[in-house]
Amino acid sequence: MEIDDLKELISLLQDTDIAEIQLEKDGTKVKIRRQMLVSSLEMRPKKTPVTVEQTIETEEDVQRLVTITSPIVGTFYRSPSPEASPFVEAGTKVRKGQVICIIEAMKLMNEIESELEGVVVRALVENGQTVEYGEPLFLIEPVS
Amino acid sequence: MKLFKKILVANRSEIAVRIIRACKELGIKTVAVYSDIERDAMHVRLADEAVCIGPAASSQSYLNIPGILSAAEITDSEAVHPGYGFLSENPHFAEACLTSGITFIGPTSENIRLGGDKAKARQIMKRKGIPVVPGSDGPVVSDEMVVKVVRRIGFPVIVKASAGGGGKGMRIVKEEKDLEQAFHVAQREALTAFGNSELYVEKYVPDMRHVEVQIMADSKGNVIHLGERDCTIQRRHQKLIEESPSPISTDKFRKKIGEYGIKAAKALKYRNVGTIEFIVDMAGDIYFMEVNTRVQVEHPVTEMVTGIDIIKEQIKLAAGLPLEYKQSAIKPSGHSIECRINAEDPERFIPNPGKITFFHPPGGPGVRVDSAAYSGWVVPSQYDSLIAKLIVHGNSRGEAIERMKRSLDEFIIEGIRTTIPFHKKVFNHSDFMNGDFDTGFAEKISRMDVVMDEKG
Repeated sequence: MEIDDLKELISLLQDTDIAEIQLEKDGTKVKIRRQMLVSSLEMRPKKTPVTVEQTIETEEDVQRLVTITSPIVGTFYRSPSPEASPFVEAGTKVRKGQVICIIEAMKLMNEIESELEGVVVRALVENGQTVEYGEPLFLIEPVS
Repeated sequence: MKLFKKILVANRSEIAVRIIRACKELGIKTVAVYSDIERDAMHVRLADEAVCIGPAASSQSYLNIPGILSAAEITDSEAVHPGYGFLSENPHFAEACLTSGITFIGPTSENIRLGGDKAKARQIMKRKGIPVVPGSDGPVVSDEMVVKVVRRIGFPVIVKASAGGGGKGMRIVKEEKDLEQAFHVAQREALTAFGNSELYVEKYVPDMRHVEVQIMADSKGNVIHLGERDCTIQRRHQKLIEESPSPISTDKFRKKIGEYGIKAAKALKYRNVGTIEFIVDMAGDIYFMEVNTRVQVEHPVTEMVTGIDIIKEQIKLAAGLPLEYKQSAIKPSGHSIECRINAEDPERFIPNPGKITFFHPPGGPGVRVDSAAYSGWVVPSQYDSLIAKLIVHGNSRGEAIERMKRSLDEFIIEGIRTTIPFHKKVFNHSDFMNGDFDTGFAEKISRMDVVMDEKG
């Protein structure tokens, strides 16, 4: 394989949405992979092993969006009961004081309310996940 | 009987680190709880798991009973160790743990309740034939009653809060004309500080020594004592230096005070680890003062002379194990002294929080440092100012003193003011070397102008 061949392969990658190219020619194997820049959420607290999510918000988004954090320690539930539908989903419009989730602590169901009027962008924790004080729960886009 | 799989430490700073260390050595997993300004605290770093339970204010974090119990629940902790201070002597917390099916590592809630009612504790001891400081039989509820008691016991007297501690809700009264006002002021102070204005009266013994006995009891009611500690060096009723054995102790004295300690513990049907506090007057007479229903700050000096790990014993006793030691096996050896090092200026003891830019503790034979501090750690302003305990052990009191002097010289804490210079003054003072001091000593020393070299 010649340098020129490699250069051509690289520009092919750059000009398209292709993430990875593998080529075998004349006994030589080449693999070229596009570097994916992924920003991940802040590290989860030690207690619960959870897969790190990939965010899709830009820097500007983060500035604008409001994070609702947990005021207590407990277990996060998205719905009033296991069979019911979630209080909110991505895109749900919420009023100030509207219940957006439940955090169960010591067999008591604590209704957590939105602090502002806006639109739910997404939940930041999984249903059934244990949460601590200050844990980010939801991203809300405020109504301007 | 198995020990616990996981213990939640409901405290912070050096005692949380102490408990975590004992758990690690016993193969028990640990959970730290912390307020949101203590994410970088050492106890959080050392524990296997950590849960943020609230904002900085103690009332919403380290005193937050629902938060702590919830943290225990989500981490499947089988037991909670409350440390000292905070919830350690809160009977509601002990009961709430019980109700939640979590073992409270400490005495029963009834023990805690009795220990917290100082007037009642005195009454119980008196009835069991343990000498108590002359004073009221239970709480004083009226001005007339105070006058009656005081006329019986004579001046000077000290009016104390039944639910109190830490020097609050206390007034020394030297003459009858000051009595009524002192009584009312103390009532108000007690109500504000403890939510309970109940007072009792004792004869005030100036120039006394404060000697306490460490006791341990198992669930069958077997009780042993681990010898005495002398905590006479105090300032405004806050202990600064403690040692074991007491400089005034003899085998006979230890036996006598130890027996009073055991008798007191049995009178309360006490369980787990605790301390019985006595005062000793100039004549060497011993009087019961109060019970401390928790592990104490100064427990290390007893550990150094007995070789017994008091925190491990607390855990084992809480798990239902019987007492491992017989009284005859307890033979204190050598002498141990502890200095409490606070983030306070060494002349007026005003709190001095801030960033510790450089932290270098001493070492070598017979030197132990119990601390959660490290270089770069910011001492928070919201909690108490104790940042390290420097404990030494020697073959004799003289060797322990030399060891402490050396250790104080080696101990470097930069960025904040600490009480290390105060301790250096004490350890260079002949009265301390001779064991010749009373509760007025610390105040006297702090006001002394001793010429120290630059490094002091």
